[in-house]
Amino acid sequence: MRERLRNAPLLRPVIEALSIAKERAERGYGSVPNTLRLLLLAALLIAVPFYENPLGGGVVFDDRWLSVFRLVGLYIMLGIGLNIVVGYAGLLDLGYVAFFATGAYAYALLASPASPAIDFPIEDVPWLFWAMLPIALVVGAFTGVLLGLPVLPLRGDYLAIVTLGFGEIIRLFLINKDDWTGGSQGLYGIRAPPLPDVPLLNITELKSTALTEWYLFIVVGVFLVAFCAGRLRDSRIGRAWEAIREDEDVASAMGVDIVKYKLLAFAMGAAIGSFGGTIFASFQGSAIPEDFNLLVSINVVAIVVIGGMGSTPGVVVGALILIGIPDFLRFKEASDLLGLLDPIVPFADTHNWAEDLRNNRFIVFGALLVIVMVLRPVGILPSSRRKLEFAAPVDEAAI
Amino acid sequence: MAAALLVALFVIVSVIDDGKGWTFWFEQLRNGLTTGSIYALIALGYTMVYGVLRMINFAHGEVFMIGAFAGWVTLTEVFGGDGMATALIAPAIIVAMLVAAIASASAVLVIERIAYRPLRHAPRLAPLISAIGVSIFLQHLFLRLTDGLSKQYPRIFPQGPGESIDIYITEIKYIELFLIGSSIAMMLTLYLFVQRTRVGTSMRAVAEDQEVAALMGINVDRIILMTFLIGAALAGVAGVMYGLWVYFIRGTMGFLPGIKAFTAAVLGGIGNVPGAMVGGFLIGLAESVGREQLNTLLNPALTWALGWAGADGLGLGNEWKDVVAFVVLILVLLFRPTGIFGEVVGKRA
Repeated sequence: MRERLRNAPLLRPVIEALSIAKERAERGYGSVPNTLRLLLLAALLIAVPFYENPLGGGVVFDDRWLSVFRLVGLYIMLGIGLNIVVGYAGLLDLGYVAFFATGAYAYALLASPASPAIDFPIEDVPWLFWAMLPIALVVGAFTGVLLGLPVLPLRGDYLAIVTLGFGEIIRLFLINKDDWTGGSQGLYGIRAPPLPDVPLLNITELKSTALTEWYLFIVVGVFLVAFCAGRLRDSRIGRAWEAIREDEDVASAMGVDIVKYKLLAFAMGAAIGSFGGTIFASFQGSAIPEDFNLLVSINVVAIVVIGGMGSTPGVVVGALILIGIPDFLRFKEASDLLGLLDPIVPFADTHNWAEDLRNNRFIVFGALLVIVMVLRPVGILPSSRRKLEFAAPVDEAAI
Repeated sequence: MAAALLVALFVIVSVIDDGKGWTFWFEQLRNGLTTGSIYALIALGYTMVYGVLRMINFAHGEVFMIGAFAGWVTLTEVFGGDGMATALIAPAIIVAMLVAAIASASAVLVIERIAYRPLRHAPRLAPLISAIGVSIFLQHLFLRLTDGLSKQYPRIFPQGPGESIDIYITEIKYIELFLIGSSIAMMLTLYLFVQRTRVGTSMRAVAEDQEVAALMGINVDRIILMTFLIGAALAGVAGVMYGLWVYFIRGTMGFLPGIKAFTAAVLGGIGNVPGAMVGGFLIGLAESVGREQLNTLLNPALTWALGWAGADGLGLGNEWKDVVAFVVLILVLLFRPTGIFGEVVGKRA
């Protein structure tokens, strides 16, 4: 009986929470050091633009690095957003780019001088970007519910294919509905939001203040989004998602409102995706349909799955690998680093490995997905909860 | 059943015909049937693999693409491409199809061994991601091999005047006749194979219940592999047919036909072989005939609905034909998840 209780999927979270609490009590720490650790991490990350190279030559991470970090940070945000849908609620969404595009175009429609929607020069309103961020959240959540409604009864692979369809339809819509969206040219000329000129940030000529501020903004954003996602996961809502993920029918029988919580998951994920889209359109200065193709969705799903579903550290690792490394390969440092391989690899005298890798990054990306899945189907850093699940022998494997 | 559906569709079309005339609709019908026969062949691979493994082979579109490239190499390099002697055309096509079938089958042999078999008992998302990985890998590998360019199939079927044959009700192009005919022949063969032969019976047994099939002395791994191989060979042949029909092939060509064929499989009832064939033809028709009608039907409604925004409906151009399949897929999964002939799907996961 005891054994059966332990294995009941719905009780598992409770039992696990209890055992974690017990373990913590035994080791003599509560949740405070964890918070401290996070604060320390935040401080380290915020200080990144200011690291001085001890060997001289200015800062360690110059503009190029900061723009890579900015993109990685953006994808971490997207990953955390999709993680709510895929990792927490177990709904495989392959059309996440739809929400990303929603946010980007929502902002671009207002801020681009090419926008057909607005005929007064709203791009001069300095606080537009900041006002747009909460609006993007709302618009995104709304789109999430809208696209979530028709797919409520679908599960697993079917949900994946239909959402993939949504992602493609959105792109076709953006290209073809050119009297709204500027067609394949997109909406361009979005001005960067005027940022306050903080003298403190202007440390060397090597770095533009704007990039530093962008970087800091993204770091804060990532922490904010991660915090919200974490709180959601540990709330009643998060437990409902988990129940749905483990077994929808049982969850429904236990009184979990499937429709409400599924839509909530879609809405939350979409809100964060749309938030990211607005940021993307802003630092890109444009919104072009080609920026919102299927590969974006697949990238984000891959970040979540390779990192380890349901795990925020996993998302960070996934984004660093899948977004950070391909961008890093553009740097001279990457060529130098990979050049170290030349003596070991034959015929490599005139070869630029970094460039080769970069040119073939999609081939490598595809192969990497297969390799990681075959070697580690649970991802690199699975959440502690998931680790327990997959360790348990399951015949009807959970999603 | 299938015939009845076709007739029904045709009647609907002719009722709402807005003065385009029969020639136009016959052309759409021929178009739809030809494209549909290609979709049907691809759909068979999805449906058979789903039947035995309950898994959607996301890389199936790329298997189709590999077949198209194998056929292209055979036709241009071995048989001399555009300047091919007339007597050589028939053997060239047969050889190209065989080569394509073998190439696709060997590709799937490797894919299954490396990317799918190790994950057969893994959490459900893992094989899906792995398949997406294979798909991206192959797409970009072929884009790389072709320097990102499209390749052109030789135009060996008659073009312009003399390209059609009169079959009393309408004229039909030789290539259309050939594609529709050969795909129907292949599908009939496959149907008989699945129904009548020992391997076919084993396949159906494995689809029904793997464990019991294994107890009955069926080598399940071998049967699963066989299923993959047959599906891939058909997709490879479909690749050559696509090349002969559309001319242009490239590394990313497999994605959309793949999705549409998958839709066809779901529409016919996934796991069901005749269903995939019917589904394929229906999707082909829905694309060519449906899009034409969608404009006429939807535009007033959309204009009304979006009137406040000053929009004039969506004005579905030709590029919107790709959306039709998605819409059909969503509608089928919502209102008849069993498809036309099949079992309940969509909820199983």
